Amino acid sequence: MGVQLSTRRGLLAVALGAVLAAPVVIAADIGPLPALKYDKAKAELGKRLFFDVRLSGDAAIACSTCHDPANGFSSPTALSKGYPGNGHFRNAPSVINAGHKKVWLHDGRIGTSLNDVTREMITEDYIMNMDMRIMQERLKQDPVYVKMFKDAGYGEPSNGKVRKAIPEYLMSLTSKNVPFDKGTMSAEAKRGMKLFTGKAGCVQCHNGPLFTDQKAHNTGVPENFDVFLNPMNHQAFLAFAMFQGIENYMNLKRDPGYYNVTTDKADMGKFITPSLRELKYTAPYMHNGMLETLDDVVAFYNNGGGEDSNKSSLLKPLGLSKSERGDLVAFLLSLSGDPLTGAEYVWQEPYPEEYEAIANWRKVRN
Amino acid sequence: MINNKARNTQSALQRVRDRKGSLGFMILPVVLLAGLGTGCATQTQASAMAAGAEVTSGPPPLAPLGPPPIPLDNKQSPEKIELGKLLFFDVRLGGDASTGCSTCHEPTQGWAWAEDFSRGYPGTVHWRNSQTIINSAYYPRLFWAGSSSSLENQARAAARGGVAGNGENDIMEARLALIPEYVTRFRDVFGTEWPLIRDAWRAISAYERTLVQRDTPLDKYLQGDKSALTEQQVRGKKLYEGKAGCIQCHNGAMATDFSYYNIGVPPNRRWEEDGLAQVTFRFEQYAKGQTEEGYRKAKSDWGFYYRTKNKWDRGKFRTPSLRYTMYTAPYMHNGVFYTMEEVVDFYNRGGLDEEGRTTPFPENKSKFIRPLGLTGEEKEDLIAFIEAFSGEEILVSPPELPNYAPLFTKQELMEAKK
Ligand code: HEC
Ligand code: HEC
Ligand code: HEC
Ligand code: HEC
Repeated sequence: MGVQLSTRRGLLAVALGAVLAAPVVIAADIGPLPALKYDKAKAELGKRLFFDVRLSGDAAIACSTCHDPANGFSSPTALSKGYPGNGHFRNAPSVINAGHKKVWLHDGRIGTSLNDVTREMITEDYIMNMDMRIMQERLKQDPVYVKMFKDAGYGEPSNGKVRKAIPEYLMSLTSKNVPFDKGTMSAEAKRGMKLFTGKAGCVQCHNGPLFTDQKAHNTGVPENFDVFLNPMNHQAFLAFAMFQGIENYMNLKRDPGYYNVTTDKADMGKFITPSLRELKYTAPYMHNGMLETLDDVVAFYNNGGGEDSNKSSLLKPLGLSKSERGDLVAFLLSLSGDPLTGAEYVWQEPYPEEYEAIANWRKVRN
Repeated sequence: MINNKARNTQSALQRVRDRKGSLGFMILPVVLLAGLGTGCATQTQASAMAAGAEVTSGPPPLAPLGPPPIPLDNKQSPEKIELGKLLFFDVRLGGDASTGCSTCHEPTQGWAWAEDFSRGYPGTVHWRNSQTIINSAYYPRLFWAGSSSSLENQARAAARGGVAGNGENDIMEARLALIPEYVTRFRDVFGTEWPLIRDAWRAISAYERTLVQRDTPLDKYLQGDKSALTEQQVRGKKLYEGKAGCIQCHNGAMATDFSYYNIGVPPNRRWEEDGLAQVTFRFEQYAKGQTEEGYRKAKSDWGFYYRTKNKWDRGKFRTPSLRYTMYTAPYMHNGVFYTMEEVVDFYNRGGLDEEGRTTPFPENKSKFIRPLGLTGEEKEDLIAFIEAFSGEEILVSPPELPNYAPLFTKQELMEAKK
């Protein structure tokens, strides 16, 4: 360790790190993630819905457009795509393990259920901009859905059942075969875990089987200026801010984060601690994708996080050596399981290109 | 009715888009009462007119068209009109920035859309024929069943409707704020720091109030230029005012009494064959506030009924103007007739198409609609006269639209305090 600590800055960092590491009293409560119960038929229906562009207003994008299975069901770009005609102002987080959470979205503005998150995604104008009444009628026009809804015990296709079936599918998206859960971590990763729970202090916020306290903290992640410099993204941000009723939105030059939920200035720039599972697939990182790799993330924390007048006092320069940083990254990677890219998780059959007409229309009830 | 921006009272967790999230049959008593009110008024008006037509003085005569009424709270100005024109042609005033007013009100298609059902928002088709913008400034109520009370409200409804513009106020307002030329123009015209979406509707309405045609052959004829109509057209005018009885409803300067009738137009067959049209058909039953039972059994457009909820209003539509119809085929609320010949044959048969199809609500059909016994020559004369309601085609080239620009510089962003 001493080898790396030749600069003054490094020495200082280690000193602070030591101060920090000592008083960490938070008991690590990390451990394997239990699987979630779900109904097969309902989840299968939810899967078809998740990949179906007909759930968006202009039938151009699906949930999977932004939550891309090839990228661990998150957006591969720093800022997510938006509804056609606009961009977005945040990274689309992975939906793997979303069923385990109690609070959703980067600012934690939904704390009720995945049913409500699903509605938000479908109806929000800068996301899928769907009038759910039209969505319901589209589904009723597809005989495959009519049968799947019936087989799932839902009766006829309806907006309410869509909001039940999609969360059911999300319950099937949980980490599989994770080295950490199976106890098959490399020596490096094991060393990283020690740092994680000790010197690096990560467990203060990333605790529990999901590696999140599901609380909001300010880590000082730099703003992504593309939100404001690109009018496509900025218009989505403005629409969001207007709809949420955030005051003075035309002059906002930063993402207010958790402040949106509490309107307490002290919460400016706080974001909900994300889970650390499946990071192997979900780069780039942070609410706005500002950090490209896990090396960058660890370097970020090693510097004591970013710059913000509101930054959490839990973040201090850590003084991790290069090999320690490597160990920590190895540990983070050991929290990722098999990619969920097979037919079990991804709908692979084609969708009909046109809406089949209902036969004998004049005679049958709508 | 529903304020999507309802911000203050609700917590962040509850803020959802009511319109888009709601599903349920509307049985709001308020709506019913309001509807009944209108229904009664119109019913009385219509029967008074009917009585008048048959017993006493007869319907108002055709007349030259005067200037359009200008509402006191939305005066015209050249700057406002120019802004309105830009906005009318700007597709960013719609959900995915692809579908603006001019998309379905295409100047080269009679400021309408030349198919039976209008094209819809991407991924949809509309369920009614697109109406021309020309002379829409004169209607006291807009849309085929008169559901909108002003051009201002109409524009708002059009931009937001799920199968029309599908745009939400906040994103449209955000877009305007990011187009510097609009920020300046709105400030000049309306005096606001940032563009307000409701002022966009006002500017568009001001532009629409310039899209009028008052110099048709008929206007000239009625102003004393007897050479403006051909002899055949003069014969057609006699039929129109006499044997064919068109004047009973298509009267006054706009050739409409602004009332609602069921004239026997049959449902569009497309609903039987076209899956996409079936989707919209059912959606509209919700959107128009049908009851559950109505939603299940409706197989045609119930028209004025959606506003009044009176059985006897099923299948009634607003009498449209006959002005500018030379350019606006196909005709009727559902575009079932592609030529004026078909329309006249339909009236001549007493409100039946060539297969004998008619409204599913024959009990509501206007007594004015009965077989006319027009000869072939008389039909031609009548059609020739209807052409006199149209002047030159009104064509404008789409304006060049201003671009988006970032609101802040990188420098400003870097200096912002964190
Ligand atoms: C246009 C891109 C886009 C589409 C389409 C989209 N999402 Fe999202 N999703 C996002 C973004 C961006 C966020 C984060 C938003 C925020 O924090 O404000 C998100 C957040 C979520 C979350 C919360 C995850 C967490 O851990 O907090 C879930 C769950 C989710 N989306 C599910 C869905 C479902 C289900 C659909 C389809 C019905 C969908 N999304 C469609 C971009 C999208
Ligand atoms: C003060 C609480 C706190 C501490 C301590 C903390 N984190 Fe975080 N972490 C967060 C928050 C909050 C975010 C989200 C920040 C954002 O999106 O702007 C985050 C984000 C991350 C991410 C990005 C995840 C993603 O999906 O984008 C990683 C990786 C991460 N932290 C790892 C660590 C590691 C490793 C440590 C220890 C060195 C650590 N964190 C310490 C609160 C904390
Ligand atoms: C997707 C196609 C579409 C778009 C976009 C659209 N319209 Fe329309 N418009 C129609 C249809 C169809 C009707 C008749 C609808 C009805 O009666 O229900 C109509 C009716 C109207 C009328 C009523 C005319 C009359 O005689 O009563 C006006 C005025 C009008 N539209 C203006 C606008 C304006 C302004 C916009 C842009 C804000 C717009 N429209 C956007 C299709 C469209
Ligand atoms: C009882 C009142 C009434 C009478 C009489 C009447 N009309 Fe109509 N007319 C209407 C109504 C109402 C509509 C719209 C019906 C619909 O869309 O279902 C209409 C529609 C039309 C249209 C289509 C206009 C468009 O823009 O699509 C034309 C053309 C027309 N009428 C011509 C005539 C002619 C010619 C006569 C005489 C032979 C006549 N009408 C008699 C009420 C009447």
